[in-house]
Amino acid sequence: MNGSFRTCPTTGLKVHAQADALIKANAVVATVALLIGGITAVLVLLTRWQAVHLLPADLFYRVLTVHGMNMLIFFILFFEMAVLYFASAVLLNSRVATPRLAWAAFGLMVLGTVMVEWTMFTGRADVLFTSYVPLRAHPAFYLGVILFAVGALIVTSIFFGTLVVAKREKTYEGSVPLVTFGAATAAIIAVITLAHGAAIYIPTFLWSIGVMHVDAQVYRLVWWGLGHSSQQINVAAMVSIWYLLGALTIGAVVVNEKVSRSAFVLYVLFISMASAHHLLVDPGMGSAWKVWNTSYAMYLAVLASMIHGFTVPAGMEVGQRLRGYAKGSFEWLRKAPWGDPGFSSLVFSVIIFGFLGGITGVTFGTEQINIIAHNTLRIPGHFHATVVGGTALAFMGVTYYVIPLIFRKQVAFFPLAKIQPYLFAGGMVVFSMAMTFVGTFGVPRRHWDITFQQAPFDVQFAPAVDLLLGIMALGGLIAALGGGIYILVTVWSVFLGKPMAEGRTA
Amino acid sequence: MPFDGVPQGIINPPGQPAAGDGPEHAKAPGTLILVFVFLAAFVVYYFVNWKLLSFLWKVG
Repeated sequence: MNGSFRTCPTTGLKVHAQADALIKANAVVATVALLIGGITAVLVLLTRWQAVHLLPADLFYRVLTVHGMNMLIFFILFFEMAVLYFASAVLLNSRVATPRLAWAAFGLMVLGTVMVEWTMFTGRADVLFTSYVPLRAHPAFYLGVILFAVGALIVTSIFFGTLVVAKREKTYEGSVPLVTFGAATAAIIAVITLAHGAAIYIPTFLWSIGVMHVDAQVYRLVWWGLGHSSQQINVAAMVSIWYLLGALTIGAVVVNEKVSRSAFVLYVLFISMASAHHLLVDPGMGSAWKVWNTSYAMYLAVLASMIHGFTVPAGMEVGQRLRGYAKGSFEWLRKAPWGDPGFSSLVFSVIIFGFLGGITGVTFGTEQINIIAHNTLRIPGHFHATVVGGTALAFMGVTYYVIPLIFRKQVAFFPLAKIQPYLFAGGMVVFSMAMTFVGTFGVPRRHWDITFQQAPFDVQFAPAVDLLLGIMALGGLIAALGGGIYILVTVWSVFLGKPMAEGRTA
Repeated sequence: MPFDGVPQGIINPPGQPAAGDGPEHAKAPGTLILVFVFLAAFVVYYFVNWKLLSFLWKVG
């Protein structure tokens, strides 16, 4: 079952047939999850837009649960599994360690996904992404998450196994590439994350069938070790893709290997502390615990992001300057291939992640400021900038290279593909900023009706809120259009697209 | 299928830098400017949030 290798005519890399197939399978399921998450995103958006207020309350919370699970867990993690196979087997010219187990893990993840989707769509798990105890879902929901997490953990182990295989079989020389190193840090964070998932979802599953008690505060403490840390896997994977896209699109260089690798190590050591942000207004934790976990050492993880935020564009600039684009301060940027969707996605991902997601995240992570931002729309405004404008956009950008390099197909509707990052990034910028501003007025997150029509008290928001919600909806719809184009382009390319051999050479 | 295409990085991969040049001696003045823009944005947003907090939650 080890299969054969093919040599990529563009990169010269030897691609193991099993790695090829596993990347394709994970990428296809990730796209399906993105489609479900995207459709539900529009439904949530049109309900939060108070002027439209599309869904009734019960459907709103159901659809919001589906949106959160598909976007934050299924789309992202299936895609990251593909990244792990690419960064290990493909980049190191190696075979995949234990391919049978890899397919079993994939099957486990798909089975878990189907179970969770079934419980959510049938109204058996209207508990939102966080599934806070004592909100109780059907036991199949928790079991599905556990199966999914076990599958992902096995893939992570296979990633490390493939690194060992590549080292033993001497498929590469010197140190592993920086992209593989970054993926390894993502895999380490994944182990930490999935261990938290097991530690909390197994007791919660037992609680759901009435076997044991789960304390609500303990649940929140451990669950966020899964909920936030899973987004840190994204960060490490996204930064790895930044380096990859920089090299593929404009020949970006790594300005200093040691600095970039040290920054990845900082993620492993300190980023898990960021989970404590979510508990900043919880009464169960003391101030000392909160301040320590969201400041001091945690800022070393922020430092890591700022290092990457410098070295990635600096590597692009140096690469361009070495190729002759050296006039003034920004010729390297002006004359970059802005029509290449891989490049434009990279640039927008860095900017949105850093300027919108990063700055707001660090600010909200301050205990005193968190008190005015917590549970308002400022929080989803922040994480839509990091996860959607940052991670998802980087994943979209690399897909335009995965289609020809791995799927061996030309990119369909290429003119649309070229404008897709502009639509998606532009929409997300408007959406995230409007959401953040509207949260500043105290508008709550995860809330079906902010007019509080049936409440015994009168709650009035500033009139600007209605305008900002409209702008938020406009931005969200533009981003959804960009997301829809991405799905159209990828699905058409993969299943109906022209093979590379028939068209232009690669 | 109309409108097929391949990203520029594959059709026309970036060439090798001129011989003898290396990233260790290169400078990145444009990136440095962007870094200071980022720093300014960070300072402004952080300050505005503390100011907002001081309005909403008066001490004394």
